[in-house]
Amino acid sequence: MVPLSWYLVFAFMLIGLGAYGMMVKRNLIRILIGAEIMGNGVNIALVAFSLYSPVFTFTGQGLIILVISVAAAHTALALVLMLMYNRRYDTVDLGTPIEEEVV
Amino acid sequence: MLQEFEALFEQVEFLLIAGIVLVLAYLALEHKEIVYAAFFFGFMASFVAGFFLLLEAPFIAGMQIAVYTGGISALIIFAVLLLPRAQDSSLEEFATGRKRRVSLMISGLVVALSATLALVFPWAESFDEEIVVDLAQDLGALAQWLWVDNGIYVQMIALIMITALIGAIALLKMDKAEQMISLRGESGIGAEVESGESDPEPEPGAESEPEETSVVEESEEADG
Repeated sequence: MVPLSWYLVFAFMLIGLGAYGMMVKRNLIRILIGAEIMGNGVNIALVAFSLYSPVFTFTGQGLIILVISVAAAHTALALVLMLMYNRRYDTVDLGTPIEEEVV
Repeated sequence: MLQEFEALFEQVEFLLIAGIVLVLAYLALEHKEIVYAAFFFGFMASFVAGFFLLLEAPFIAGMQIAVYTGGISALIIFAVLLLPRAQDSSLEEFATGRKRRVSLMISGLVVALSATLALVFPWAESFDEEIVVDLAQDLGALAQWLWVDNGIYVQMIALIMITALIGAIALLKMDKAEQMISLRGESGIGAEVESGESDPEPEPGAESEPEETSVVEESEEADG
């Protein structure tokens, strides 16, 4: 049996990798991918907690079903905002329009 | 003996999937071609489903593949195709070395602290497989928990999703309507009406906003 701490360490690694991507990247699509990677890490931690809890309940699994559904909706919304950003500034890189305005 | 072998096999399986997922997540973030990055994210989401199978949640694994691999990664690929500038990797701007190092340090610190907590804290390291596994894989019980016991939350999530999707469509339509109005003002019907009467050169100091608003008002009256 795999110990719970292994799942948690791995979930934190995924969250850290996603956070690194969100901090470093300027491309909106890559930032969205970073956010989704973080979301996957959180999902793994939730299901692991649910399974290893002293009294098993479906709270973790039910929560994941809701989280995955909301993730699909927020991705659609994020992509629309990305399209609008691209139409307005003709780029998908964050920060570029502000720098141009300053110059 | 057999149980020990099964436990060892499960741990090897975990390490293998974890390694593959981490490599794919890194490639999804760092690959130069953004289309390939989107594909790598889709593959990563598929392998994460393997963890849900290890955690005795086959329904979640199926949902992960259907929504993340089939839905979200496909959406991201469509977005890349719709954004021509995003496809040209030579136009992508990368962070400076200093910012990269600082970000790496912050995220590394967060991971190290969280991982230390996960390893030090006395979590329950095992569960009763005979009872829990059958219970965790019972789809009927999961459906009852979700729809009967907590149906109100499912409806709330459905409302949030509908609001998000309608909001997304409304944002796109609003943006498109603004573009149509500016087009009409430059070379459309409104511009012809204005230039037919008199086409005075705008004064250097004068702002062009009042003219645009009058064109908008005219077009709104015509629509009305």
